[in-house]
Amino acid sequence: MRDTSAWSVATLALVLILALPYIAFTSGLLAGTGHKWSHLMTYFLNKFFINSVILIVGVGFLACLLGISAAWVISRYELPGRKVWAILLYLPLAIPTYIMAYIYVGLVGYGGTTTKLGQWIGVDLPSGNIMNIYGLVWVLSLSLFPYVYAAARASFSKRPAALLETATLLGASERKYFFSIALPMAKPAIIGGLLLVCMEVLNDYGAAKYFGINTFTTGIFRSWTALKDLQSAVYLAGLLIAFAILVTLLIRLARGRKSYASNSDSGGPVKRVKLEGKRKVLAFLIVGFPIIFGLILPIIQLFMWVIPAFDYASFYENIWITAQSLFVAAMAAILTVATAIALLFFSKWNALSFIKRLPSISTVGYAIPGAMIGIALFSGGRYFVDFASEQFGWRIGYLVYGGLPILLYAYVFRFLAVAYYPIEATSLRMGNQLAEASYTLGGNRFNTLRKIELPILKPALWAALILVFIDTLKELPLTLILKPYDIDTLAMVAYNYADEEQMTKAALPALMLVSVVGLLSFLFEWWRSYSSKAKDG
Amino acid sequence: MNKIFLFALILLVAACGAADKEEVTIYTHRHYDVDQQIFDDFEEETGIHVNVVKAGADELIERLVSEGDQSPADLLMTVDAGRLVRAADANLLQPIESETVSSTIPDKLRSADNSWVGLTKRARIIVYHPDRVNPEELSSYEGLADSIWNGRVLIRSSSSIYNQSLMASVIANLGEDAARQWAAGVVENFARNPSGNDRDQVKAILAGEGDLAVINTYYLGLLLNSADSQEAQAGEAVQIFWPNQEDRGAHINVSGVGLTANSPNAENAIALIEYMISQEVQELYASANYEYPANPNAEVSDQLKSWGEFKEDELPLARLGELNDEAVIIFDEVGWP
Repeated sequence: MRDTSAWSVATLALVLILALPYIAFTSGLLAGTGHKWSHLMTYFLNKFFINSVILIVGVGFLACLLGISAAWVISRYELPGRKVWAILLYLPLAIPTYIMAYIYVGLVGYGGTTTKLGQWIGVDLPSGNIMNIYGLVWVLSLSLFPYVYAAARASFSKRPAALLETATLLGASERKYFFSIALPMAKPAIIGGLLLVCMEVLNDYGAAKYFGINTFTTGIFRSWTALKDLQSAVYLAGLLIAFAILVTLLIRLARGRKSYASNSDSGGPVKRVKLEGKRKVLAFLIVGFPIIFGLILPIIQLFMWVIPAFDYASFYENIWITAQSLFVAAMAAILTVATAIALLFFSKWNALSFIKRLPSISTVGYAIPGAMIGIALFSGGRYFVDFASEQFGWRIGYLVYGGLPILLYAYVFRFLAVAYYPIEATSLRMGNQLAEASYTLGGNRFNTLRKIELPILKPALWAALILVFIDTLKELPLTLILKPYDIDTLAMVAYNYADEEQMTKAALPALMLVSVVGLLSFLFEWWRSYSSKAKDG
Repeated sequence: MNKIFLFALILLVAACGAADKEEVTIYTHRHYDVDQQIFDDFEEETGIHVNVVKAGADELIERLVSEGDQSPADLLMTVDAGRLVRAADANLLQPIESETVSSTIPDKLRSADNSWVGLTKRARIIVYHPDRVNPEELSSYEGLADSIWNGRVLIRSSSSIYNQSLMASVIANLGEDAARQWAAGVVENFARNPSGNDRDQVKAILAGEGDLAVINTYYLGLLLNSADSQEAQAGEAVQIFWPNQEDRGAHINVSGVGLTANSPNAENAIALIEYMISQEVQELYASANYEYPANPNAEVSDQLKSWGEFKEDELPLARLGELNDEAVIIFDEVGWP
């Protein structure tokens, strides 16, 4: 098409705007390592590397196991209460990893809820110290598996009915169908989800710090705060980014070059299989395990903290904080998804193949610790502020520091991956035939986008919106650094109390966070089933 | 026409600026409900509104650096002296010109140039299980490196600023080599890999994972008065030992406040500091938050009284900040996670 070069420019411009923190970051790297670099290398590099690998492999495996199996049961079989389970499986995502860490110590740690329960029923129940790397794998997996579940479920439930019928006609067993057809077709989506899990693992700070585990991210904070060597912290962040890119490449390699495009999503709703006997019990176990350990027990623990310390004043205060959190998260989600759509389609419409690869670079922001993004934006913003004040005498410091725009920009930078991967995965499955057909019939890019591509992407767009929304609600270090003076968020308040060892106070905002996300998920699911019914009928 | 419009807009903006009420902006690392109550009382008494930005001290310092002369902050409040020294070193603070402050707060709890001042004190103490530890065998922080404590010592990780300050005080008192030897000895005696917070160490004593722990007084107060029955039980199960009473005294740290170099409302800020060190407010800190008042005239609460009087280390707290780097390096060298 004629206008492809314009799209190359547009893609490039967007990627550049999103690269501003990298530029600030790179200029930081050019300044050389700091004075404590050799110290860090001597005492920590091995630990950072080994611990990060254990965490990524451990959490990646466990999250896939929990997420894929639950998604398969939910989308393939008819279970009583299926719709409710399907939603509950998203909700562990609403519990920030560091809160999950505190929760598990509260549940099974010394003098924890298990002990109390034991005293109550008169049995000596075991309690123990889970504050080690395996405990961390457990805690992170339970809090992060919904990323894989969401991706896998979206893919499983959209598999073409014709394929299933063909497979059944040809005598394929259930197992064969899962491993040879459903799983490979879901692979791009699952890998997208897995990538998010890995980035979250690399980015975790609160849980690792609490458990006393040295990771790249805790090392960045140690270098910056305890050793007062910001320069080396920037270098560690650079290493972390390199590590994240390596992980991304490895995982993308696993996805392979095969394309699974299919335009035959139609064929009517897939009939789910009814289960009986042992298989029904097994299905319930698969769905129930992550719900019990990732959601129900944690919520019980939060209530155990909230109830004895409850007072109405802090309840009303938390309602107000909830409103502010929702506002900020909604803005961030809309902006991020809009950016992801622009990036995806601009690069698709451009003709240069190297530019087609650029968007995946823009998504690495997910692996950079929030605190580093904050610092990069501050130091970058400083040039801007100084320039304005020297050249024009404008004092725009207030706008740059502690303003909503910079916080929103930071969220977009940080969470682009969350929005981009699910949309990209669906777009890959959709293929390009429909759009090409539309062009042949004289449609231009925009009305093809509006009338054909976006409607097909709609479930993925909603999923992306919800995921970014939840992530923003949970986000901590960026919000701490960049937040406007008069805005509080639930995650922030919860963390501040938890860090001060006041779990009874941290629990209420945490519980509100879970409730808000839960309520939204139910509304979303209700809307989805309602609108699909309306379409069918 | 356009020019008139622009002029009107400028007037409007200027008017808004002029109509600003009296205020003071505080960047604080303290996340306690009692602080908000104190700020509200201050506003009621003086009409000066207090804007509060809560975050970690390190983030706040970085924010002050970036904001430079356009910072809206008047005060920086931290939970340790080390970060205040760091802010002062980065030229982010200015002297607090107040006779009240210099006459009320003891010298060692302030910086030499009065750019920051301690508000409340916390002591780092040893708590032990009375059935498993003979208190006569306890003596000092140094004593924890003794082999009789092998596998019995609970303490959190070296990323805790409270441990960094404790190590800094050991370096200041005994020198670097002795401090390194001491740390290596304590590492040998760990009951478990350092993890969790101060409260978790006390719970681990009750559970029998170790016999004694090094924690801050104010966390013990929070444990004892916790709404969680198990926590209160853990607090009650341990006894307090004040270390180094025969020599330099127990290590203390302060939660303090500094006046920022570019404070736009310095006068209001100083008024707030003077308010916070007043006897009445200092007693509120002690009773609501189990912190020792920095103002010597303020009475300590009953909870604090029950722990007895103690001798405190007279080291000027500014030294804790100066030696913080060295402390962290020693932790890393001896493998204290």
